[in-house]
Amino acid sequence: MAAGVAAWLPFARAAAIGWMPVASTPMPIPPQDKRKGQDGFIILNVSGTKFQTWRTTLERYPDTLLGSTERDFFFHEETSEYFFDRDPDIFRHILNFYRTGKLHYPRQECISAYDEELAFFGIIPEIIGDCCYEEYKDRRRENAERLQDDEEMDMSNDVTPVNLTFREYLWRAFENPHTSTLALVFYYVTGFFIAISVMANVVETVPCGTLPNRSKEVSCGERYALAFFCLDTACVMIFTVEYLLRLIAAPSRCKFMKSVMSVIDVVAIMPYYIGLVMTDNDQVSGAFVTLRVFRVFRIFKFSRHSAGLRILGYTLKSCASELGFLLFSLTMAIIIFATVMFYAEKGSTATKFTSIPAAFWYTIVTMTTLGF
Amino acid sequence: MTIVCHRPEGLDQLEAQTNFNKRELQVLYRGFKNECPSGVVSEETFKQIYSQFFPHGDASTYAHYLFNAFDTGHTGSIKFEDFVTALSILLRGTVTEKLQWTFNLYDINRDGYINKEEMTDIVRAIYDMMGKYTYPVLKTDAPKQHVDAFFQKMDKNRDGVVTLDEFIHSCQEDENIMRSLQLFENVI
Repeated sequence: MAAGVAAWLPFARAAAIGWMPVASTPMPIPPQDKRKGQDGFIILNVSGTKFQTWRTTLERYPDTLLGSTERDFFFHEETSEYFFDRDPDIFRHILNFYRTGKLHYPRQECISAYDEELAFFGIIPEIIGDCCYEEYKDRRRENAERLQDDEEMDMSNDVTPVNLTFREYLWRAFENPHTSTLALVFYYVTGFFIAISVMANVVETVPCGTLPNRSKEVSCGERYALAFFCLDTACVMIFTVEYLLRLIAAPSRCKFMKSVMSVIDVVAIMPYYIGLVMTDNDQVSGAFVTLRVFRVFRIFKFSRHSAGLRILGYTLKSCASELGFLLFSLTMAIIIFATVMFYAEKGSTATKFTSIPAAFWYTIVTMTTLGF
Repeated sequence: MTIVCHRPEGLDQLEAQTNFNKRELQVLYRGFKNECPSGVVSEETFKQIYSQFFPHGDASTYAHYLFNAFDTGHTGSIKFEDFVTALSILLRGTVTEKLQWTFNLYDINRDGYINKEEMTDIVRAIYDMMGKYTYPVLKTDAPKQHVDAFFQKMDKNRDGVVTLDEFIHSCQEDENIMRSLQLFENVI
Protein backbone atom coordinates (compact mmCIF):
# COMPACT_ATOMS: atom_id res chain seq x y z
CA MET A 1 0.00 0.00 0.00
CA ALA A 2 1.48 3.36 -0.95
CA ALA A 3 2.48 5.44 1.98
CA GLY A 4 0.15 8.33 1.27
CA VAL A 5 -2.87 6.11 0.93
CA ALA A 6 -2.61 5.21 4.58
CA ALA A 7 -3.86 8.69 5.30
CA TRP A 8 -7.10 7.80 3.55
CA LEU A 9 -7.82 5.00 5.97
CA PRO A 10 -10.47 7.00 7.87
CA PHE A 11 -12.23 7.52 4.58
CA ALA A 12 -12.24 3.83 3.80
CA ARG A 13 -13.60 3.03 7.24
CA ALA A 14 -16.26 5.69 6.91
CA ALA A 15 -17.33 4.34 3.55
CA ALA A 16 -18.16 1.12 5.33
CA ILE A 17 -21.38 2.80 6.33
CA GLY A 18 -22.63 1.80 2.91
CA TRP A 19 -23.00 -1.84 3.68
CA MET A 20 -23.92 -1.49 7.26
CA PRO A 21 -27.72 -1.56 6.89
CA VAL A 22 -27.40 -4.40 4.43
CA ALA A 23 -25.24 -6.55 6.62
CA SER A 24 -26.94 -9.32 8.48
CA THR A 25 -24.45 -9.38 11.33
CA PRO A 26 -23.16 -6.46 13.39
CA MET A 27 -20.02 -4.76 12.14
CA PRO A 28 -16.71 -5.65 13.74
CA ILE A 29 -15.08 -2.97 15.85
CA PRO A 30 -12.39 -1.17 13.87
CA PRO A 31 -8.90 -1.73 15.27
CA GLN A 32 -7.68 1.07 17.49
CA ASP A 33 -4.63 2.93 16.22
CA LYS A 34 -1.99 2.95 18.86
CA ARG A 35 -1.66 6.60 19.59
CA LYS A 36 2.11 6.66 19.69
CA GLY A 37 2.87 10.14 20.80
CA GLN A 38 1.78 13.21 18.92
CA ASP A 39 2.45 13.95 15.34
CA GLY A 40 5.74 15.71 15.95
CA PHE A 41 8.85 16.66 14.06
CA ILE A 42 11.95 14.57 13.91
CA ILE A 43 15.23 16.31 13.17
CA LEU A 44 17.81 14.20 11.36
CA ASN A 45 21.30 15.61 11.33
CA VAL A 46 23.33 13.87 8.62
CA SER A 47 26.93 15.04 8.79
CA GLY A 48 25.84 18.58 9.48
CA THR A 49 22.96 18.81 7.01
CA LYS A 50 19.68 19.00 8.88
CA PHE A 51 16.64 17.19 7.57
CA GLN A 52 13.27 17.53 9.18
CA THR A 53 10.23 15.42 8.74
CA TRP A 54 7.14 14.27 10.55
CA ARG A 55 7.49 11.33 12.84
CA THR A 56 4.65 9.56 11.03
CA THR A 57 6.45 9.88 7.69
CA LEU A 58 9.35 7.84 8.98
CA GLU A 59 7.10 5.32 10.65
CA ARG A 60 5.48 4.32 7.39
CA TYR A 61 8.20 1.74 6.90
CA PRO A 62 8.75 0.13 10.25
CA ASP A 63 11.19 -2.47 8.97
CA THR A 64 13.88 0.05 8.13
CA LEU A 65 16.38 1.74 10.41
CA LEU A 66 14.61 5.10 10.51
CA GLY A 67 11.17 3.62 10.97
CA SER A 68 11.98 1.35 13.86
CA THR A 69 13.41 1.78 17.30
CA GLU A 70 16.88 1.25 15.84
CA ARG A 71 17.07 4.98 15.23
CA ASP A 72 17.12 5.56 18.99
CA PHE A 73 20.70 4.36 18.97
CA PHE A 74 21.60 7.47 17.01
CA PHE A 75 19.76 9.93 19.22
CA HIS A 76 21.95 12.75 20.43
CA GLU A 77 20.78 13.99 23.83
CA GLU A 78 22.37 17.42 23.93
CA THR A 79 20.89 18.64 20.68
CA SER A 80 17.75 16.50 20.82
CA GLU A 81 18.21 15.27 17.29
CA TYR A 82 19.23 12.10 15.51
CA PHE A 83 22.79 12.24 14.21
CA PHE A 84 24.08 10.07 11.37
CA ASP A 85 27.65 10.22 10.19
CA ARG A 86 26.80 9.39 6.57
CA ASP A 87 26.63 11.03 3.18
CA PRO A 88 23.97 13.77 3.11
CA ASP A 89 23.58 13.77 -0.68
CA ILE A 90 22.53 10.15 -0.82
CA PHE A 91 20.50 10.54 2.35
CA ARG A 92 18.31 12.99 0.50
CA HIS A 93 17.10 10.20 -1.75
CA ILE A 94 16.54 7.85 1.13
CA LEU A 95 14.40 10.41 2.91
CA ASN A 96 12.44 11.01 -0.29
CA PHE A 97 11.61 7.37 -0.29
CA TYR A 98 9.81 7.80 3.02
CA ARG A 99 8.03 10.87 1.77
CA THR A 100 6.82 9.64 -1.60
CA GLY A 101 7.02 5.88 -1.36
CA LYS A 102 9.31 5.69 -4.39
CA LEU A 103 13.04 5.07 -4.24
CA HIS A 104 15.07 6.71 -6.97
CA TYR A 105 18.63 6.07 -8.06
CA PRO A 106 20.59 9.23 -8.96
CA ARG A 107 22.82 8.73 -11.97
CA GLN A 108 25.74 10.72 -10.74
CA GLU A 109 26.23 8.69 -7.59
CA CYS A 110 28.57 5.74 -7.40
CA ILE A 111 26.72 2.46 -7.27
CA SER A 112 28.77 1.01 -4.41
CA ALA A 113 28.31 4.07 -2.22
CA TYR A 114 24.58 4.02 -2.90
CA ASP A 115 24.32 0.32 -2.09
CA GLU A 116 26.18 0.85 1.15
CA GLU A 117 23.86 3.60 2.24
CA LEU A 118 20.82 1.50 1.41
CA ALA A 119 22.23 -1.39 3.39
CA PHE A 120 22.97 0.87 6.35
CA PHE A 121 19.46 2.26 6.46
CA GLY A 122 17.92 -1.15 5.98
CA ILE A 123 16.23 -0.49 2.65
CA ILE A 124 16.17 -3.28 0.10
CA PRO A 125 17.15 -2.10 -3.39
CA GLU A 126 14.42 -4.12 -5.09
CA ILE A 127 11.88 -1.38 -4.36
CA ILE A 128 13.60 1.07 -6.66
CA GLY A 129 10.96 2.58 -8.89
CA ASP A 130 10.62 1.59 -12.54
CA CYS A 131 11.96 4.93 -13.67
CA CYS A 132 15.40 4.21 -12.23
CA TYR A 133 15.47 0.44 -12.05
CA GLU A 134 17.08 -0.22 -15.44
CA GLU A 135 19.90 2.19 -14.76
CA TYR A 136 20.49 0.70 -11.34
CA LYS A 137 20.60 -2.86 -12.61
CA ASP A 138 22.98 -1.96 -15.44
CA ARG A 139 25.39 -0.15 -13.17
CA ARG A 140 25.30 -2.98 -10.71
CA ARG A 141 26.12 -5.53 -13.37
CA GLU A 142 29.00 -3.46 -14.72
CA ASN A 143 30.36 -3.10 -11.24
CA ALA A 144 30.14 -6.83 -10.58
CA GLU A 145 31.97 -7.59 -13.83
CA ARG A 146 34.66 -5.09 -13.00
CA LEU A 147 35.13 -6.67 -9.60
CA GLN A 148 35.37 -10.10 -11.15
CA ASP A 149 37.99 -8.93 -13.61
CA ASP A 150 39.97 -7.35 -10.84
CA GLU A 151 39.85 -10.55 -8.87
CA GLU A 152 41.13 -12.59 -11.76
CA MET A 153 43.97 -10.18 -12.35
CA ASP A 154 44.82 -10.24 -8.68
CA MET A 155 44.80 -13.98 -8.60
CA SER A 156 47.22 -14.21 -11.46
CA ASN A 157 49.61 -11.73 -9.93
CA ASP A 158 49.70 -13.46 -6.58
CA VAL A 159 53.01 -14.38 -5.05
CA THR A 160 53.69 -18.05 -5.69
CA PRO A 161 52.47 -20.14 -2.83
CA VAL A 162 55.22 -22.48 -1.89
CA ASN A 163 53.51 -25.81 -1.53
CA LEU A 164 52.17 -26.42 -5.01
CA THR A 165 51.99 -29.97 -6.21
CA PHE A 166 53.72 -30.66 -9.48
CA ARG A 167 50.36 -30.86 -11.21
CA GLU A 168 49.22 -27.48 -9.94
CA TYR A 169 52.56 -26.00 -10.84
CA LEU A 170 52.27 -27.32 -14.35
CA TRP A 171 48.75 -25.91 -14.72
CA ARG A 172 49.84 -22.51 -13.50
CA ALA A 173 52.72 -22.58 -15.94
CA PHE A 174 50.37 -23.29 -18.80
CA GLU A 175 47.80 -20.69 -17.86
CA ASN A 176 50.19 -17.87 -17.13
CA PRO A 177 53.48 -18.06 -19.04
CA HIS A 178 55.11 -15.32 -17.02
CA THR A 179 55.41 -17.39 -13.89
CA SER A 180 58.70 -19.01 -14.82
CA THR A 181 61.26 -19.06 -17.58
CA LEU A 182 60.43 -22.60 -18.59
CA ALA A 183 56.79 -21.67 -19.08
CA LEU A 184 57.82 -18.69 -21.18
CA VAL A 185 60.07 -20.83 -23.35
CA PHE A 186 57.31 -23.37 -23.83
CA TYR A 187 54.90 -20.56 -24.69
CA TYR A 188 57.12 -19.17 -27.41
CA VAL A 189 58.01 -22.60 -28.78
CA THR A 190 54.34 -23.57 -29.20
CA GLY A 191 53.60 -20.21 -30.75
CA PHE A 192 56.44 -20.67 -33.18
CA PHE A 193 55.30 -24.12 -34.17
CA ILE A 194 51.73 -22.98 -34.67
CA ALA A 195 53.00 -20.31 -37.03
CA ILE A 196 55.22 -22.80 -38.85
CA SER A 197 52.40 -25.27 -39.21
CA VAL A 198 49.99 -22.70 -40.61
CA MET A 199 52.60 -21.39 -43.04
CA ALA A 200 53.40 -24.91 -44.17
CA ASN A 201 49.74 -25.51 -44.91
CA VAL A 202 49.67 -22.37 -47.01
CA VAL A 203 52.95 -22.93 -48.87
CA GLU A 204 52.02 -26.54 -49.67
CA THR A 205 49.51 -25.37 -52.20
CA VAL A 206 51.77 -22.90 -54.06
CA PRO A 207 52.75 -24.10 -57.53
CA CYS A 208 56.43 -24.89 -57.54
CA GLY A 209 57.49 -25.35 -61.09
CA THR A 210 57.40 -28.59 -63.14
CA LEU A 211 59.01 -31.94 -62.47
CA PRO A 212 61.47 -33.15 -65.07
CA ASN A 213 59.27 -35.95 -66.44
CA ARG A 214 55.91 -34.23 -66.22
CA SER A 215 54.44 -31.31 -68.12
CA LYS A 216 52.00 -30.12 -65.52
CA GLU A 217 52.83 -27.72 -62.76
CA VAL A 218 52.91 -29.32 -59.35
CA SER A 219 52.36 -27.72 -56.03
CA CYS A 220 55.17 -27.48 -53.53
CA GLY A 221 53.43 -29.96 -51.33
CA GLU A 222 53.71 -32.69 -53.91
CA ARG A 223 57.25 -31.79 -54.93
CA TYR A 224 58.73 -31.79 -51.48
CA ALA A 225 56.23 -34.22 -50.01
CA LEU A 226 58.71 -35.79 -47.62
CA ALA A 227 59.89 -32.47 -46.21
CA PHE A 228 56.40 -31.29 -45.58
CA PHE A 229 55.48 -34.60 -44.03
CA CYS A 230 58.37 -34.35 -41.59
CA LEU A 231 57.44 -30.80 -40.71
CA ASP A 232 53.85 -31.80 -40.15
CA THR A 233 54.91 -34.71 -37.97
CA ALA A 234 57.10 -32.48 -35.84
CA CYS A 235 54.34 -29.94 -35.33
CA VAL A 236 51.78 -32.58 -34.48
CA MET A 237 54.18 -34.18 -32.00
CA ILE A 238 54.60 -30.86 -30.20
CA PHE A 239 50.87 -30.23 -30.19
CA THR A 240 50.09 -33.72 -28.95
CA VAL A 241 52.61 -33.42 -26.14
CA GLU A 242 51.21 -30.07 -25.19
CA TYR A 243 47.67 -31.36 -25.19
CA LEU A 244 48.54 -34.38 -23.08
CA LEU A 245 50.45 -32.25 -20.59
CA ARG A 246 47.55 -29.86 -20.28
CA LEU A 247 45.19 -32.77 -19.82
CA ILE A 248 47.34 -34.18 -17.03
CA ALA A 249 47.73 -30.82 -15.32
CA ALA A 250 44.10 -29.76 -15.54
CA PRO A 251 42.40 -29.51 -12.16
CA SER A 252 39.18 -30.82 -13.62
CA ARG A 253 39.70 -33.08 -16.58
CA CYS A 254 36.07 -33.22 -17.66
CA LYS A 255 35.80 -29.48 -17.62
CA PHE A 256 39.05 -29.13 -19.51
CA MET A 257 37.98 -31.54 -22.20
CA LYS A 258 34.75 -29.64 -22.72
CA SER A 259 36.43 -26.25 -23.01
CA VAL A 260 36.69 -24.57 -26.38
CA MET A 261 40.48 -24.43 -26.52
CA SER A 262 40.88 -28.14 -25.96
CA VAL A 263 38.37 -28.92 -28.67
CA ILE A 264 40.37 -26.73 -31.04
CA ASP A 265 43.54 -28.59 -30.03
CA VAL A 266 41.97 -31.94 -30.74
CA VAL A 267 40.56 -30.81 -34.08
CA ALA A 268 44.00 -29.48 -35.02
CA ILE A 269 45.81 -32.76 -34.52
CA MET A 270 43.10 -35.25 -35.49
CA PRO A 271 43.57 -35.05 -39.30
CA TYR A 272 47.17 -36.18 -39.01
CA TYR A 273 46.36 -39.29 -37.01
CA ILE A 274 43.43 -40.17 -39.16
CA GLY A 275 45.68 -39.77 -42.16
CA LEU A 276 48.22 -42.17 -40.65
CA VAL A 277 45.58 -44.75 -40.10
CA MET A 278 44.03 -44.79 -43.54
CA THR A 279 46.71 -43.91 -46.13
CA ASP A 280 46.06 -46.88 -48.41
CA ASN A 281 42.35 -46.73 -48.88
CA ASP A 282 41.42 -44.79 -52.03
CA GLN A 283 37.73 -44.62 -51.29
CA VAL A 284 38.07 -42.60 -48.16
CA SER A 285 40.99 -40.56 -49.38
CA GLY A 286 38.54 -38.03 -50.71
CA ALA A 287 37.16 -37.65 -47.24
CA PHE A 288 40.68 -37.51 -45.92
CA VAL A 289 41.50 -34.58 -48.17
CA THR A 290 38.52 -32.78 -46.71
CA LEU A 291 39.80 -33.52 -43.27
CA ARG A 292 43.03 -31.75 -44.05
CA VAL A 293 41.02 -28.58 -44.19
CA PHE A 294 40.71 -28.82 -40.46
CA ARG A 295 44.39 -28.24 -40.13
CA VAL A 296 43.64 -24.59 -40.67
CA PHE A 297 42.04 -24.57 -37.25
CA ARG A 298 45.52 -24.55 -35.84
CA ILE A 299 45.43 -20.85 -36.36
CA PHE A 300 42.86 -20.59 -33.59
CA LYS A 301 45.41 -21.96 -31.19
CA PHE A 302 46.89 -18.50 -31.34
CA SER A 303 44.07 -17.27 -29.17
CA ARG A 304 45.93 -18.64 -26.15
CA HIS A 305 48.69 -16.28 -27.10
CA SER A 306 46.64 -13.26 -27.87
CA ALA A 307 44.30 -11.62 -25.40
CA GLY A 308 42.71 -9.62 -28.17
CA LEU A 309 41.55 -12.74 -29.93
CA ARG A 310 40.03 -14.03 -26.74
CA ILE A 311 38.17 -10.76 -26.28
CA LEU A 312 36.82 -11.12 -29.79
CA GLY A 313 35.62 -14.57 -28.87
CA TYR A 314 33.89 -13.30 -25.72
CA THR A 315 32.24 -10.51 -27.67
CA LEU A 316 30.84 -12.93 -30.18
CA LYS A 317 29.65 -15.18 -27.41
CA SER A 318 27.93 -12.39 -25.53
CA CYS A 319 25.99 -11.16 -28.53
CA ALA A 320 25.32 -14.64 -29.80
CA SER A 321 21.58 -14.26 -29.43
CA GLU A 322 21.47 -11.04 -31.40
CA LEU A 323 23.66 -12.50 -34.15
CA GLY A 324 21.49 -15.58 -34.17
CA PHE A 325 18.43 -13.47 -34.65
CA LEU A 326 20.10 -11.57 -37.48
CA LEU A 327 20.89 -14.85 -39.19
CA PHE A 328 17.35 -16.08 -38.67
CA SER A 329 15.73 -13.02 -40.12
CA LEU A 330 18.10 -13.06 -43.10
CA THR A 331 17.20 -16.70 -43.71
CA MET A 332 13.53 -15.86 -43.60
CA ALA A 333 13.97 -13.06 -46.09
CA ILE A 334 16.04 -15.29 -48.39
CA ILE A 335 13.42 -18.01 -48.39
CA ILE A 336 10.62 -15.56 -49.10
CA PHE A 337 12.37 -13.85 -51.98
CA ALA A 338 13.71 -17.08 -53.46
CA THR A 339 10.19 -18.45 -53.52
CA VAL A 340 8.92 -15.32 -55.17
CA MET A 341 11.66 -15.40 -57.81
CA PHE A 342 11.08 -19.07 -58.52
CA TYR A 343 7.38 -18.65 -59.09
CA ALA A 344 7.87 -15.47 -61.04
CA GLU A 345 10.07 -17.25 -63.57
CA LYS A 346 8.24 -20.56 -63.53
CA GLY A 347 6.53 -19.96 -66.82
CA SER A 348 9.69 -19.18 -68.75
CA THR A 349 11.68 -22.09 -70.16
CA ALA A 350 15.20 -20.68 -70.25
CA THR A 351 15.35 -19.95 -66.59
CA LYS A 352 18.12 -20.76 -64.16
CA PHE A 353 15.69 -21.02 -61.26
CA THR A 354 14.86 -24.64 -61.70
CA SER A 355 13.91 -25.00 -58.06
CA ILE A 356 13.63 -22.81 -55.02
CA PRO A 357 17.07 -23.77 -53.67
CA ALA A 358 18.47 -22.85 -57.07
CA ALA A 359 17.07 -19.38 -56.51
CA PHE A 360 18.74 -19.13 -53.11
CA TRP A 361 22.13 -18.28 -54.50
CA TYR A 362 20.73 -15.45 -56.60
CA THR A 363 18.78 -14.11 -53.63
CA ILE A 364 21.75 -14.21 -51.28
CA VAL A 365 24.02 -12.48 -53.75
CA THR A 366 21.47 -9.79 -54.42
CA MET A 367 20.52 -9.18 -50.79
CA THR A 368 24.09 -8.77 -49.70
CA THR A 369 24.45 -6.27 -52.56
CA LEU A 370 27.27 -8.18 -54.19
CA GLY A 371 25.38 -8.60 -57.40
CA PHE A 372 27.38 -11.00 -59.53
CA MET B 1 -4.14 18.52 -20.74
CA THR B 2 -5.30 21.35 -18.54
CA ILE B 3 -4.15 21.04 -14.99
CA VAL B 4 -7.00 21.84 -12.67
CA CYS B 5 -5.77 23.11 -9.38
CA HIS B 6 -8.09 23.81 -6.54
CA ARG B 7 -7.42 25.34 -3.18
CA PRO B 8 -9.88 24.75 -0.40
CA GLU B 9 -11.45 27.50 1.65
CA GLY B 10 -9.62 28.65 4.70
CA LEU B 11 -9.03 26.40 7.65
CA ASP B 12 -11.26 28.50 9.90
CA GLN B 13 -14.23 28.29 7.56
CA LEU B 14 -13.87 24.54 7.21
CA GLU B 15 -13.63 24.17 10.94
CA ALA B 16 -16.87 26.07 11.31
CA GLN B 17 -18.64 24.04 8.63
CA THR B 18 -17.61 20.60 9.81
CA ASN B 19 -17.33 18.79 13.09
CA PHE B 20 -13.54 18.45 12.95
CA ASN B 21 -11.03 20.57 14.80
CA LYS B 22 -8.07 22.30 13.17
CA ARG B 23 -5.57 19.55 13.87
CA GLU B 24 -7.74 16.83 12.38
CA LEU B 25 -8.37 18.97 9.31
CA GLN B 26 -4.64 19.47 8.89
CA VAL B 27 -3.96 15.74 9.02
CA LEU B 28 -6.80 15.02 6.61
CA TYR B 29 -5.66 17.67 4.16
CA ARG B 30 -2.07 16.51 4.17
CA GLY B 31 -3.17 12.98 3.29
CA PHE B 32 -5.55 14.31 0.65
CA LYS B 33 -2.96 16.55 -0.98
CA ASN B 34 -0.34 13.80 -0.98
CA GLU B 35 -2.51 11.54 -3.04
CA CYS B 36 -4.10 14.25 -5.20
CA PRO B 37 -1.66 17.13 -5.65
CA SER B 38 -4.03 19.02 -7.92
CA GLY B 39 -6.55 19.38 -5.13
CA VAL B 40 -9.39 17.48 -6.78
CA VAL B 41 -10.10 13.78 -6.92
CA SER B 42 -11.29 12.35 -10.21
CA GLU B 43 -13.35 9.22 -10.31
CA GLU B 44 -10.39 7.21 -11.60
CA THR B 45 -8.15 8.24 -8.73
CA PHE B 46 -10.98 7.57 -6.31
CA LYS B 47 -11.40 4.06 -7.64
CA GLN B 48 -7.66 3.43 -7.52
CA ILE B 49 -7.37 4.54 -3.91
CA TYR B 50 -10.34 2.46 -2.93
CA SER B 51 -9.03 -0.62 -4.74
CA GLN B 52 -5.84 -0.44 -2.73
CA PHE B 53 -7.82 -0.96 0.42
CA PHE B 54 -9.65 -3.94 -1.03
CA PRO B 55 -7.20 -5.83 -3.16
CA HIS B 56 -9.12 -9.08 -3.05
CA GLY B 57 -12.15 -7.98 -4.96
CA ASP B 58 -13.32 -5.54 -7.55
CA ALA B 59 -14.12 -2.35 -5.70
CA SER B 60 -14.76 -0.20 -8.77
CA THR B 61 -18.56 -0.40 -8.82
CA TYR B 62 -18.96 0.42 -5.18
CA ALA B 63 -16.37 3.17 -5.54
CA HIS B 64 -18.44 4.60 -8.37
CA TYR B 65 -21.55 4.81 -6.17
CA LEU B 66 -19.48 6.26 -3.34
CA PHE B 67 -18.02 8.85 -5.68
CA ASN B 68 -21.47 9.97 -6.69
CA ALA B 69 -22.50 10.20 -3.07
CA PHE B 70 -19.44 12.31 -2.19
CA ASP B 71 -19.79 14.52 -5.24
CA THR B 72 -22.85 16.42 -4.02
CA GLY B 73 -22.56 19.10 -6.66
CA HIS B 74 -22.36 16.55 -9.50
CA THR B 75 -19.30 18.23 -10.94
CA GLY B 76 -17.46 15.00 -11.74
CA SER B 77 -14.69 15.62 -9.25
CA ILE B 78 -14.45 15.79 -5.48
CA LYS B 79 -12.85 18.81 -3.87
CA PHE B 80 -11.45 18.80 -0.41
CA GLU B 81 -14.55 20.55 0.97
CA ASP B 82 -16.83 17.81 -0.38
CA PHE B 83 -14.51 15.18 1.01
CA VAL B 84 -14.32 16.64 4.45
CA THR B 85 -18.02 17.49 4.63
CA ALA B 86 -18.97 13.90 3.86
CA LEU B 87 -16.43 12.56 6.36
CA SER B 88 -17.75 14.95 8.96
CA ILE B 89 -21.25 13.57 8.55
CA LEU B 90 -20.12 9.95 8.52
CA LEU B 91 -17.81 10.14 11.47
CA ARG B 92 -19.16 12.93 13.63
CA GLY B 93 -22.70 13.47 12.52
CA THR B 94 -25.96 12.61 14.25
CA VAL B 95 -27.65 9.28 13.65
CA THR B 96 -30.24 10.90 11.42
CA GLU B 97 -27.58 12.61 9.32
CA LYS B 98 -25.69 9.35 8.88
CA LEU B 99 -28.81 7.49 7.87
CA GLN B 100 -29.72 10.26 5.47
CA TRP B 101 -26.30 10.06 3.86
CA THR B 102 -26.60 6.30 3.53
CA PHE B 103 -30.02 6.64 1.94
CA ASN B 104 -28.47 9.05 -0.52
CA LEU B 105 -25.81 6.49 -1.32
CA TYR B 106 -28.36 3.80 -2.03
CA ASP B 107 -30.65 6.03 -4.05
CA ILE B 108 -28.63 5.89 -7.24
CA ASN B 109 -30.89 8.03 -9.43
CA ARG B 110 -31.65 10.53 -6.68
CA ASP B 111 -35.38 10.31 -7.04
CA GLY B 112 -36.12 9.93 -3.35
CA TYR B 113 -36.99 6.24 -3.49
CA ILE B 114 -34.94 3.10 -3.28
CA ASN B 115 -36.35 0.40 -5.50
CA LYS B 116 -35.32 -3.22 -5.82
CA GLU B 117 -33.01 -2.69 -8.80
CA GLU B 118 -31.01 0.02 -7.07
CA MET B 119 -30.70 -2.10 -3.98
CA THR B 120 -29.62 -5.13 -5.98
CA ASP B 121 -26.97 -3.06 -7.75
CA ILE B 122 -25.59 -1.80 -4.47
CA VAL B 123 -25.55 -5.22 -2.85
CA ARG B 124 -23.91 -6.77 -5.87
CA ALA B 125 -21.29 -4.03 -5.87
CA ILE B 126 -20.55 -4.76 -2.22
CA TYR B 127 -20.26 -8.47 -2.91
CA ASP B 128 -17.88 -7.80 -5.81
CA MET B 129 -15.74 -5.74 -3.53
CA MET B 130 -15.53 -8.42 -0.91
CA GLY B 131 -14.25 -10.76 -3.55
CA LYS B 132 -13.85 -14.48 -3.05
CA TYR B 133 -12.63 -14.20 0.49
CA THR B 134 -15.84 -13.66 2.38
CA TYR B 135 -16.64 -16.01 5.18
CA PRO B 136 -18.86 -17.98 4.85
CA VAL B 137 -18.48 -18.31 1.08
CA LEU B 138 -21.37 -16.59 -0.62
CA LYS B 139 -23.56 -18.34 -3.13
CA THR B 140 -24.35 -16.65 -6.40
CA ASP B 141 -27.96 -15.89 -5.57
CA ALA B 142 -27.04 -14.50 -2.15
CA PRO B 143 -27.44 -10.88 -3.35
CA LYS B 144 -31.05 -11.53 -4.28
CA GLN B 145 -31.81 -13.12 -0.93
CA HIS B 146 -30.10 -10.23 0.79
CA VAL B 147 -32.16 -7.68 -1.11
CA ASP B 148 -35.37 -9.54 -0.37
CA ALA B 149 -34.56 -9.67 3.33
CA PHE B 150 -33.72 -5.97 3.27
CA PHE B 151 -37.00 -5.02 1.62
CA GLN B 152 -38.88 -7.30 3.97
CA LYS B 153 -37.47 -5.32 6.85
CA MET B 154 -37.56 -1.81 5.46
CA ASP B 155 -40.60 -1.52 3.21
CA LYS B 156 -43.36 -0.93 5.73
CA ASN B 157 -46.24 -0.20 3.42
CA ARG B 158 -45.24 -2.87 0.90
CA ASP B 159 -45.35 -0.53 -2.05
CA GLY B 160 -42.12 -1.89 -3.56
CA VAL B 161 -39.98 1.15 -2.78
CA VAL B 162 -38.31 2.44 0.35
CA THR B 163 -38.60 6.13 1.17
CA LEU B 164 -36.32 8.12 3.42
CA ASP B 165 -38.69 8.03 6.39
CA GLU B 166 -39.28 4.27 6.11
CA PHE B 167 -35.53 3.81 5.91
CA ILE B 168 -34.75 5.94 8.96
CA HIS B 169 -37.52 4.40 11.02
CA SER B 170 -36.59 0.82 10.18
CA CYS B 171 -32.92 1.41 10.92
CA GLN B 172 -33.66 3.02 14.24
CA GLU B 173 -35.65 -0.02 15.23
CA ASP B 174 -32.76 -2.38 14.41
CA GLU B 175 -30.35 -2.88 17.31
CA ASN B 176 -27.46 -4.12 15.20
CA ILE B 177 -27.53 -1.13 12.89
CA MET B 178 -27.66 1.33 15.74
CA ARG B 179 -24.72 -0.29 17.44
CA SER B 180 -22.72 -0.34 14.21
CA LEU B 181 -23.35 3.36 13.69
CA GLN B 182 -21.75 4.14 17.04
CA LEU B 183 -18.54 2.46 16.00
CA PHE B 184 -17.67 5.21 13.57
CA GLU B 185 -17.00 7.76 16.25
CA ASN B 186 -13.41 6.89 16.97
CA VAL B 187 -12.17 6.24 13.51
CA ILE B 188 -10.02 9.30 13.05
